[in-house]
Amino acid sequence: MRIAVLRPQVPFARGGVEIFTDELVVELRSRGHEADLVSVPFKWYPGARVLTQAFLWRLLDLDEADGRQVDVVVATKFPSYLVRHREKRVWLVHQFRQAYELDGTELGQFGQSPRERALRRQVQALDRVALSEATRLFATSGNVAGRLERSTGLVAEVLPHPPQGLPYRSEASQGFVLSASRLDVAKRIDLLLDAAALQPGFDVVIASDGPDRERLEEVARARGLDGRVRFEGRVDADRLAELYATCAAVFYAPVDEDFGMGPYEAFLSGKPVITTIDAGGPLDVVHDHETGLVVRPEPEAIGRAAVWLREHATEAEALGRAGKALADEVTWDRAIARLLS
Amino acid sequence: MRVAYFSPMPPEASGIADYSALLLPALRRHVDVTVVKRGTKRPPRGVDLAVYHIGNNPEAHGWILDALRRAPGAVVLHDFVLHHLVAGVTIGRRDGHGYLDAMEAEHGVVGRLLAHGVLDRRLPPLWESRPEDFPLAGEVLSLASGVVVHSRHVEERVRAAGFAGPVARVPHPAWADPRVERAAVAGDFLIGAFGNVNQSKRAPQLLEAFARLRADRPGARLLLVGAASPGFDLERRLQRLGLEGDGIVREGYVDERRLWSLMTACDVHVSLRSPTMGETSGTAIRALALGKPLVVTEVGWFAELPRDVALAVPVGEREVADLGAALRLLAERPDVREAMGSAARSLARSEHDVERVAELQATAFERIAGGAAVDDEVLREVSEAAASVGVAPDSPEAAEIARGLAELELGASSSGGPGE
Repeated sequence: MRIAVLRPQVPFARGGVEIFTDELVVELRSRGHEADLVSVPFKWYPGARVLTQAFLWRLLDLDEADGRQVDVVVATKFPSYLVRHREKRVWLVHQFRQAYELDGTELGQFGQSPRERALRRQVQALDRVALSEATRLFATSGNVAGRLERSTGLVAEVLPHPPQGLPYRSEASQGFVLSASRLDVAKRIDLLLDAAALQPGFDVVIASDGPDRERLEEVARARGLDGRVRFEGRVDADRLAELYATCAAVFYAPVDEDFGMGPYEAFLSGKPVITTIDAGGPLDVVHDHETGLVVRPEPEAIGRAAVWLREHATEAEALGRAGKALADEVTWDRAIARLLS
Repeated sequence: MRVAYFSPMPPEASGIADYSALLLPALRRHVDVTVVKRGTKRPPRGVDLAVYHIGNNPEAHGWILDALRRAPGAVVLHDFVLHHLVAGVTIGRRDGHGYLDAMEAEHGVVGRLLAHGVLDRRLPPLWESRPEDFPLAGEVLSLASGVVVHSRHVEERVRAAGFAGPVARVPHPAWADPRVERAAVAGDFLIGAFGNVNQSKRAPQLLEAFARLRADRPGARLLLVGAASPGFDLERRLQRLGLEGDGIVREGYVDERRLWSLMTACDVHVSLRSPTMGETSGTAIRALALGKPLVVTEVGWFAELPRDVALAVPVGEREVADLGAALRLLAERPDVREAMGSAARSLARSEHDVERVAELQATAFERIAGGAAVDDEVLREVSEAAASVGVAPDSPEAAEIARGLAELELGASSSGGPGE
């Protein structure tokens, strides 16, 4: 089949969606499909640009390319699913969250003026129209599917995807807690730093980059964590796999996350995950005292969880093994078979 | 967003007061609502949108129409036929000329002549005899920056009247089942009819159909709750149909608790209407919440109720026979009653869920208040981009762009909300 994978692209930014879509194209090709990535830049401000930039997708003609039919398009996140196609399959990573659950929070975008309120409602209207056109509708997690149903009434099948391909392995714990989440406010790395400040029993390695890095480094300094917290920045695949393999646990506690590959990467390395009760998507797979520890989003609770895992190595290993069994079930073979069925 | 809210409110005896009391707590979670006092002439300073609840009752809504005339805003249209309201704020205030003008504005010279006939008492009041033919909604629509309706029926009539602004269809919210104790009413099959007893509620047809049912099921009872309208001789009709004994259970005006208690006691509810003013029945909504099967007239909003919750009876020669057949079916088939009741309860909890309705209502208000500015911005940006690469306004490319915009409801907020 000729398959176009659709990805809105924020220039110069790379995150989970970019990794997911790149890998999807590779995996489709490896199964004999002619797959390609269709990417359109996306900017969601100022004013009504969120709508006009989204509208660009509607003007694309993906019925065929170079005289040959495109059999299926796979849209991923807002606004790629605005595309018009007879076989539009949506594998929803997320909607434009500022128009939904982030509205009114510090991560929101729309103000209280009638114009901004109407703008937000117009984004919701786009979703209702465009997503109801999908011939199949999948969501990467129960959290994403739940939000979709609450906001539009549309029901999506939950279809998780495997994390990025790394040389996953498990080795003896060196006692540190790893965070590999992108450094932005929504990932709540502060919680981990504050936990480390309260509990001297564990070290932290942060293996990622992002717009919040400078501030977080300052927080670590202010908490007197020099020597206990190491910022490695963005690391290559081998180094990341090594860190996963040797950590005691992985911290992954974003706010109401869509899906989150972090837990799957931790599990494939046989490591338990520390997350919070409000983390959203990760809770599909991180179950308290089964595959990790699920605690309140408070530094004290996170600190206690980190120390407990370090002091209970046997139990921590068992949690990691249970997570691995779960992550092993999520394969590209299965995901693609459902996507194209 | 700040909203000034013009509506009858409890303790005023009005279905729309009950509606607002039910909806407001949920609506306030979305918009900043100031409920204005009865008689307020203008919205308070600093509000972003004035919302006017308009119904057909001049006593409850006359002051709201007065305020709408001073400051246009969003209209929640609870009835489409507003003849009684217009008559109330004209003739009722000794402004016969106002009534003549209103009739002429919407129905031309013939309308004015008919209005003269009414004023001269040569014709019966049109708001009683033929309101559906002279709805007089034109002035309200001309003052509305957007309209919220409860039914497809009213939406279509609003559009047919030429209203081009945003229209949002938002269901009537449902009350939660208050789980009151059922009233003690005798009978082995209890049919409930709530509201005024008169011609337009199809009381003659209901009584006749019930008399036929009772011939076979003497244990059946018909509970009539509400006052008989002046001129409707209920006693004589009951006598003629042989129903003057224990077949009919009568209650006049009842308070809310007694209402729920009586409704809970019923096996089946009938909610009949013709002609319809475009209204939604708060009583029928209560019946849904209680999980009671409904028998309705096949008109307006009532005809839009799903078939699995309401048996709809067409108006016409077979009306009594059809009504009788519906009542007989429900009397004889408890399984059907149960299935319909279950579907009714489910509908109340989904479609009419108060939180959902509040969200839809807020969406409508926000799009009415700010949609035009967003439309302008989108159209300006898209048209400038198109023009800058040489797309002519009447070219196929421009038509394709316009089609894409229309498909996504972009640039023309004629739909004020998600609708149904």
